[in-house]
Amino acid sequence: MLVSFSYRPRHSFIERFDPRARWIMSLALLFSIVLFWDIRILSFFFVLSILQVFLARLTWQETRRAWLFILVLSTMMILVNTIITGGGTIGGVISGGKPLLQFQLKIPVTGWIIHYVLTRERVWFALAQFLRIISIGSLFLVIPFTMDPRKYGVTFRGIGLPDKLAFTMDLAFRFIPTLARDFQITLDAQRARGYEVEKIEGNLFTRIRRMAPLFVPVTMNAILAGEDITNAMDLRCFGLKKRTWVESLKYQEIDYLMIGISILILVGSLLLRFVFHTGDFWFPM
Amino acid sequence: MRMDQELPLYIQNLTFRYHRRNTPSITNINLEVKPGELLLIAGTSGCGKTTLLRCINGLAPRVYSGDLTGEIAIFGKSVQQLSMSELSQQVGTLLQDPERQIVSSHVFNEVAFGLENLAVPRQRIIYRVEETLEYLKISHLRDRETFSLSGGEKQKVALAGILVMQPKILLLDEPLASLDPVSAADALQMFRKLADDGITIIMVEHRVEDVLAIHPDRVMYMEDGQVIYSGDPQGMLDTIEINRVKLPAEVVVKRLTPGSFPSICPPAPPTDPRELVRFDHVNFRYKPESDLVLKDVNFSVRQGDIIAILGPNGAGKTTLVKHAIGLLKPTRGTVFLEGKPTQQLSVAQAAATLGYVFQSPSQMLFAPTVQEELEFGPKNLKHPPEQIQQNVDWALKSVNLLHERKSPPLALSFGQQKRVSIAAILAMRSRILMMDEPTTGQDYWNYLSFMDAIIQMPGFDAILFITHDLDLALIYSNRILLFKDGQIMADGRPEEVLSDTELLRSTHVLPTSLLRLNLELLPRTGRFMRAEALVNYL
Repeated sequence: MLVSFSYRPRHSFIERFDPRARWIMSLALLFSIVLFWDIRILSFFFVLSILQVFLARLTWQETRRAWLFILVLSTMMILVNTIITGGGTIGGVISGGKPLLQFQLKIPVTGWIIHYVLTRERVWFALAQFLRIISIGSLFLVIPFTMDPRKYGVTFRGIGLPDKLAFTMDLAFRFIPTLARDFQITLDAQRARGYEVEKIEGNLFTRIRRMAPLFVPVTMNAILAGEDITNAMDLRCFGLKKRTWVESLKYQEIDYLMIGISILILVGSLLLRFVFHTGDFWFPM
Repeated sequence: MRMDQELPLYIQNLTFRYHRRNTPSITNINLEVKPGELLLIAGTSGCGKTTLLRCINGLAPRVYSGDLTGEIAIFGKSVQQLSMSELSQQVGTLLQDPERQIVSSHVFNEVAFGLENLAVPRQRIIYRVEETLEYLKISHLRDRETFSLSGGEKQKVALAGILVMQPKILLLDEPLASLDPVSAADALQMFRKLADDGITIIMVEHRVEDVLAIHPDRVMYMEDGQVIYSGDPQGMLDTIEINRVKLPAEVVVKRLTPGSFPSICPPAPPTDPRELVRFDHVNFRYKPESDLVLKDVNFSVRQGDIIAILGPNGAGKTTLVKHAIGLLKPTRGTVFLEGKPTQQLSVAQAAATLGYVFQSPSQMLFAPTVQEELEFGPKNLKHPPEQIQQNVDWALKSVNLLHERKSPPLALSFGQQKRVSIAAILAMRSRILMMDEPTTGQDYWNYLSFMDAIIQMPGFDAILFITHDLDLALIYSNRILLFKDGQIMADGRPEEVLSDTELLRSTHVLPTSLLRLNLELLPRTGRFMRAEALVNYL
């Protein structure tokens, strides 16, 4: 089902920062993380990200679904990318290497032979990738739980997006719960007509076709609602001139500190990567 | 053009045709409205009311392109010459569905939206938002999430978002459509107050009887894009055709001669009825930490019952009927469907005996043709093909839609869609029919005719419907369940339940003119009936 954005004030340390400063920090860390494959450097970012989760006072119960989603996604990526096909995407893993496990598989009928080798390098590469995904995931996972949805628009405006685009973020928050509820109603209405979503079988296309009773009404409703919403916004002069934002944000000293450190980290990372050429894939010999 | 700066609204020979249509939607409208005047515009759906509002607030032809001829002036200035920002500070529009015009996730931000767009300084916005919330007596909602508000609250918040821009004219498009009777009465009082405070109000509404309670200064009645009547309320009551809009019962009986209308009434239940559904000490809550929505509910649906479920919004009426078909399972207690606990039945199995028509047809219609839409349910239930064809034909005939068999349901009018959604359930040949608010969004004329058709339809063991419309319950049911705060407050024959005024007050049911007249005549009639039938007993 749809992600529910469960913001509530938690009076945590992380909420004391201005949302703009937090976005800048998150983006700076994101761009730094993607530069590296060295597990030692990645561990540093991993610790930072996890630290943020704890400082945000998130409980396992409320974030469980989000974590599961990240874990499933990362496991799939790692399986496909490194364990099964080997090599990864950056060509960082040298072919060959120390085998940890190998076997041969003969596929019946065709007679193809699969020679599978899992090397130590691949395992370390998988670990590096895992750290990258988890660090990035937990960096952004914190945001919906700890950032007041009322501030999204003005935050994006403050980061430099135009008014219209920034307000779209506010609108999204308004409509996610509505969309989730409409979906539930349609699901109930079709179940009352004997429709059983659990029993949908067949190939991909058949399955998609059989989902039509759910998606057609939900989409049509969203389109019809869209007409009213744009009318309501036009009638209240949206987009005619540069608007005031009634929510206001104010940088405090700690925000400048956070932005400063974030920029330092990003600059440091760029230097390490492009001037000192460190941070490539690494594993203990 | 008359340059009267004092006149909030002046319309002369207004005709508007949408570019996608061949004929004008409104023709030759003339209107003058004074400051603080409350004008009611009534008419059946498709009569051009909404188009007229769009011409006044500038959406037509700015957003809805078309040809506009004639004059519309706001305080002496032509609407077409005013900019959208000037216009929106003169004319405020409350759209039909408050749900669809709230753009912010929180109340305060929602009310501030228009002023933000006009680039009013921040401190000034805060001051005006708070002032407006106070004026409408909803300051306590200031920091609430808009999603969690009730229908009545949503409407007040939407209204606040318009009033904060200090319009001189307020356009209201069917403001009562989504409200329960108590919220509607409350909203009407508020509109009256706004008019008394000097705002000109133009209200489009077909619940004429309700609006008459706040004494509109003037009434305009439209049909097919033309003004049929314009003048004082009394004059309209004497002129327009009965059954076009809902008129007070006294007016109807006064204008009819005895015996002129055939009377359709619900059949009496059989003497030894079979039990179809039984609620046995049912408790329900949505989440372990939330409050009980159903509290120890006990009742049975028996063969021959036509049950109207009445009660305020949020009382748990929909939750109740969803239990009967197993979409929700009790937290404690058991619901039996033909003797079997719903816990042991899948929804699909339950659907074979019990058909449930949801409130809004757009939430379930999806197929490319009406025929396929109707086949969907029976196919899911694995009915044999020849039987499906027979039942689809029967269902189409019952709702009078045989000629639309090949049409795409989504292209039909709202009233037709509603009938398709009912036919889709009929085609499943369920023996129990449940309907959630079967008459919302339908004008009076339409809903009377299809309720008549359903009541007379053979093949149902029992019918249940949820409604806010007391008159609907009174005319069509033979049993009434009064529901409040998750509990059954009363269960019995309409004549018993609805004659208890104290009970009605405590469950927020507002007596209507039809109920009062029926109670008065009950010694002579012996049972409740529609106004047309009451004529014979006067």
